[in-house]
Amino acid sequence: MAFLQWRRFNFFDKEVVKDEGGQVFDGLKGIDISVCASGRGQIVIGDYEGNIHFLNRNLELSTFKAYELRITHLCQVKQQGILVTVGDDEPGTNPIIKVWNLDKRDKAGNPTCSRIVRAVPGKEASPVSALAVHENLNLMAIGFQDGTVVVYRGDVTRDRHSKSRVIHHTGSSVTGLAFRQAAKVNHLFVVTRDSVQSYNLTAKDHKEELDAFGCEPRCSVLSDASQDNQFVIGRPDAVYFYQTDGRGPCLVFEGEKKTLQWYRGYLVVVGKENKSMPRPTPGGQSRDMSIVNVYDIQNKFIAYSAPLPDVTDVICEWGSLYILTGENRLMQLIEKDIQTKLEMLFKKNLYVLAINLAKSQHFDQDGLVDIFTQYGDQKYSKGDYDGAINQYVKTIGKLEPSYVIRKFLDAQRIHNLTAYLQSLHKAQLATEDHTTLLLNCYTKLKDTNKLDQFIYSKDKEVDFDVETAIKVCRQAGYYDHALSLAERHSQHEWYLKIQLEDIKDYQKALTYISKLDFYEAESNMKKYGKILMSEVPQQTTELLKRLCTDYRPSDIPLADEQTLQGGMPARIHKAPADEFIHIFVSNSSKLMEFLEHMIKVQPSSPSLLYNTLLELYLHDMAHDGSQKAELDRKSMDLLQNTDAHYDVNQALVLCQMHNYKAGILYLYERERLYQQILRYHMDHDEYVHIINTCKKFGGQDPNLWVQALAYFARKEENCRTQMMEVLQHIDRHNLLPPLLVVQTLAHNSTATLAVVKDYITRRLQQENDQIQEDERLIQQYRQETEKMRSQIQELKTSAKIFQVSKCSICNHPLELPSVHFLCQHSFHQHCFEGYAENETECPVCMPENRKILDIIRAQEQHKELHEQFHHQLERASDGFSVVADYFGRGVFNKVTLITDSPAAPPPTGGNPFMEPPDVKPASKPAPKPAAAAAANPFLDEDDANNPFLDEPESTNPFGDEF
Amino acid sequence: MSYAYLFKYIIIGDTGVGKSCLLLQFTDKRFQPVHDLTIGVEFGARMITIDGKQIKLQIWDTAGQESFRSITRSYYRGAAGALLVYDITRRDTFNHLTTWLEDARQHSNSNMVIMLIGNKSDLESRREVKKEEGEAFAREHGLIFMETSAKTAANVEEAFINTAKEIYEKIQEGVFDINNEANGIKIGPQHSPSNPALGGGGGAGGSQAGGGCC
Repeated sequence: MAFLQWRRFNFFDKEVVKDEGGQVFDGLKGIDISVCASGRGQIVIGDYEGNIHFLNRNLELSTFKAYELRITHLCQVKQQGILVTVGDDEPGTNPIIKVWNLDKRDKAGNPTCSRIVRAVPGKEASPVSALAVHENLNLMAIGFQDGTVVVYRGDVTRDRHSKSRVIHHTGSSVTGLAFRQAAKVNHLFVVTRDSVQSYNLTAKDHKEELDAFGCEPRCSVLSDASQDNQFVIGRPDAVYFYQTDGRGPCLVFEGEKKTLQWYRGYLVVVGKENKSMPRPTPGGQSRDMSIVNVYDIQNKFIAYSAPLPDVTDVICEWGSLYILTGENRLMQLIEKDIQTKLEMLFKKNLYVLAINLAKSQHFDQDGLVDIFTQYGDQKYSKGDYDGAINQYVKTIGKLEPSYVIRKFLDAQRIHNLTAYLQSLHKAQLATEDHTTLLLNCYTKLKDTNKLDQFIYSKDKEVDFDVETAIKVCRQAGYYDHALSLAERHSQHEWYLKIQLEDIKDYQKALTYISKLDFYEAESNMKKYGKILMSEVPQQTTELLKRLCTDYRPSDIPLADEQTLQGGMPARIHKAPADEFIHIFVSNSSKLMEFLEHMIKVQPSSPSLLYNTLLELYLHDMAHDGSQKAELDRKSMDLLQNTDAHYDVNQALVLCQMHNYKAGILYLYERERLYQQILRYHMDHDEYVHIINTCKKFGGQDPNLWVQALAYFARKEENCRTQMMEVLQHIDRHNLLPPLLVVQTLAHNSTATLAVVKDYITRRLQQENDQIQEDERLIQQYRQETEKMRSQIQELKTSAKIFQVSKCSICNHPLELPSVHFLCQHSFHQHCFEGYAENETECPVCMPENRKILDIIRAQEQHKELHEQFHHQLERASDGFSVVADYFGRGVFNKVTLITDSPAAPPPTGGNPFMEPPDVKPASKPAPKPAAAAAANPFLDEDDANNPFLDEPESTNPFGDEF
Repeated sequence: MSYAYLFKYIIIGDTGVGKSCLLLQFTDKRFQPVHDLTIGVEFGARMITIDGKQIKLQIWDTAGQESFRSITRSYYRGAAGALLVYDITRRDTFNHLTTWLEDARQHSNSNMVIMLIGNKSDLESRREVKKEEGEAFAREHGLIFMETSAKTAANVEEAFINTAKEIYEKIQEGVFDINNEANGIKIGPQHSPSNPALGGGGGAGGSQAGGGCC
């Protein structure tokens, strides 16, 4: 037969209670104890002599007389200092209830009695057999031997407002009563010798029949919250639990019960020792032995079990369990601490029980982890790896994972390790290493299902490091997994790396890129463009075209909702095309296509594009003869395209490199490098072209002819015709002094005199003509000068007759007063005053004079500008004429004027005929000799034919040289 | 916790067939591989929902040991449903079914719904009792049959709930006298037994009103 009992442990230490002096406490000796109770820090004992004894923590005993005869029942309320007693004051059946206030003492120091009431079940008196007081002090129940239960409602401590009512009556003696309060509903459990009932005191004393058998007195107790406040009765066959509405569990603890007590989750059962067991009788006298069992109901074990002599009562007070044994000895059962208990369990390898125990005692997490770890270790050492890992999984979060991982690193136990790591991930406590390890486990185990689950099933949250996972999957060759991970978590780089380097599905990679947003797509194309180009050139080119024009991810509709609703269209991204050129490194035809597209779509592309395209054209032209014409046209179009932003210099270099003549010439022309064109032709000795070039561009740059001449002069071959033509042009535009022409031609050993004869003759002829012309002019000017001199002389020396009869202003006959000027103009004074701007000048001649004066002044201003002079001199083809011109402007006549200045007539004397006397010429001290000269009225001597006016022209014969 | 009905169950069967584990799985949703022998009767409760009604199940898990039989028998009475459990890896537990069934029929009310359960279905490799045998036995004795695994929780929920459904149907059919608590059925505190059937009267009124409107 199986051992039909719970496991038994020794979780309590039994000790005899000793006083301060270490002596066994025997203060209760001699008391004829009838009933015990406890609460509020003291044990209350009633005896058969009517005394109540209080025993406090220090084992001090105090006693007072409560009843005349005896005390039968005690009830100490736990929360207040109220003690309810039932006893007899007189012989016969006349039990009296007394309520004592322990906090209120009378003069003798005894508790005061606040209420005395007779306990009568009905018509006939009956001994009290059970007493219960509700903790709220508003309910009290008394059970009688005749099977009656009386409930007193109202304040227990007073008579007033207290109502009593019989709620129960059976023939069988009431053996136990207990109040149970749960959520404002009060129940009263009543147990008699042959029934168990519960009464709902809140709902009209509704009766519930719980069982058809009962128990002996003191064999019932109310459990605590750990057992849902069930009512427990002890019967010889078992212990039964009851809820208010029915039966609960039943535990078979066999044996006749004497007392049931509830202590902190433990059920303490005092039973009579099994008579069948032979018992030695020490000391000869046979005593009743009792068995004290302490059951842990929740965790299902016996926490203590020992025979004790003649137990009268079990008392829970002072945080411990006290047992009153025969001869009134007090024993204490001291509960061992939890650690000790757990160690005991560990020793017996009862880890499950240990865990349950720890949990029920609200052991903290660290402690539990310790247990799990030990349990795991034990299972591990026994070879139960599956079990061990289950325990280790529970330690996740507290125990260092490496402790566990190290144990399971063996290949044999990889699936255990996998389980652990999975849990670790589930708890979100996994590090990168753990992820790596887990994935490695999966791959080692070839457990594709699990791997799938791990990778694919976690849609929402990821509890592992994605990058690590990708890496591991990739390493292990699970490319699909790695790919899907990368795709799902937007690890574009990884995705592409795997797709390109491992799977080599370029098409897919490309499609993937085209779905990315612009920046991602751009950077990835830069990175992988080369590979893609070499594998799938067509699509790559297409993508690049898109990328560089108006890229948008391929899976986004062309017009998104926002645009449709009239919102601003998303910004169009364009990648700079020049950054992708290198991708086409080995595929020039695609590059050409790409660039052509780019240039067509975006004419403002950077110069690099144009340059590259040009280079491609030229390169192909040079190496591929078949399409020469086409390419020639294309490159020319490109060069001539005004929108093309190619770099001219670079284009030139390219053209030169590939010896593309048309391009070179076009570019030279475009840049106005006529010299270069000429030189190009010279280098290629193309005489016709040289002449043509000179003809074409000679207008812009006459030097071309000179160069052409020098070129032809150096040529030893016979190029007479060309030379002649060149000379003709040089001659026509007078580009080179004849001497230089001759010198140039002198270098040529083959040039004959015939070549230059015409030219020389013509030149000499021209020179002669010039000389003659000049001499004629000189002559003319001399004559004019002479004439002027004589005029001046005349003015100075001979008298002037004013015989004008009419006023030059009003044309009326002149009458006095009148004003006369040497220029033969005369005026009425009133006319003169009305028109003249000043008194010294003839109003008629004045405008003409002013003009001349202004010209002179302007010329004089110019002479200050040395810079300009130098500049002009340097630039001028004929320096001499410039110098002559400046002479003419009077650059150097400063000196002559200064010397003239003293010779100038004094101002006062200058106007002898001025009618208005108050002329103030003195105010003009001639600080500026030129100005004074200008103001000189003598200058007016010649009416319109001012000789100074002609002077600049006439004195500059060289200025008109050509 | 309010409920419409309260059903009382008992779990019976040979010792070690997994009765306590079934209960633990059903009430706590966990499995304890090492389980102490049940001493007497254990108790568990759980709320389930059938046909939109909250039903409280009170379950007594009895000890399978012969020596506890006298105590456990007293729990048969007042049970509306019984789970008769055997272990598919131990033929003797199947062989004892007849005894258990007789015992149950003798000590309980005649209407008690009995579900036959072949437990430990996860241990397929050690199976001694074929599923067909279980089915045949159930058919023969008018029981519902199911194979379960308290370890993997397979069919555990269904076993308890199907039993409850059967009882519920019987109540609807009027087989059970719901006012007699000895049948193991209790009506919840807020559901008074005098609840009249509103369906017919309400429907008739509604159609009348509809006709008038049109």
